[in-house]
Amino acid sequence: MVQIYKDYRDHADFLTVYVREAHPTDEWQMKSNVKEDVCYAQPKTLEQRVEIANDFVKRFNYPTQFGIDDMSNAANDAYAAWPERVYIIDERGRIAYRGGMGPFNYHPEEARAWLAARYGEVKREASAAVPDKKK
Amino acid sequence: MFKWVGIGLGLLIFAVVIGLSVIAGGLRGAYGMVRYALPHMHRGTLRVGDDAPDASLLTLDGSSRFHIRERTGARPLVIVFGSYT
Repeated sequence: MVQIYKDYRDHADFLTVYVREAHPTDEWQMKSNVKEDVCYAQPKTLEQRVEIANDFVKRFNYPTQFGIDDMSNAANDAYAAWPERVYIIDERGRIAYRGGMGPFNYHPEEARAWLAARYGEVKREASAAVPDKKK
Repeated sequence: MFKWVGIGLGLLIFAVVIGLSVIAGGLRGAYGMVRYALPHMHRGTLRVGDDAPDASLLTLDGSSRFHIRERTGARPLVIVFGSYT
């Protein structure tokens, strides 16, 4: 997703929204989380969400604008977002692209295709420093 | 009759457990998926062409809020939802 941002940031705005954790230590933790040292309990407060979101951004030097969902999960519920999902909203404020629900139907390349159809293929130099973790 | 229904249900449950275990990487993963993931996974009702819902979000520094709608209008807005883990 970071590469898509770099390629199309001159044409579109990007917003990453932090929602409830998918694999926290006190729920369904994955072995890969331990291996990658990404071990967090499910936040119980908004402050904890802010802290984890900041850890993420710092670790990956994540470049897009960032927003954090409320503890009421209002954004998550409105967009059926969890655990991960991509949308594109057009200039009229309407859904222009609706991605599938992650992880199995999470295909950011479809968002790239939408952008490419409108603005043409763009491919800037890939960044090795920022892995495509934030799906 | 009831005996065969019981056997059928047992086999069905066994197949579901095996299937989930394969997907989730083991029995523990299958439990985690059923207990923690499935209740939060929703296909949703939004469709292409619908008005995009608005929601209030907290900024990364935790000091202020903004609405998704404030970020739309000038150019397309790509929204990526996710978490760290």
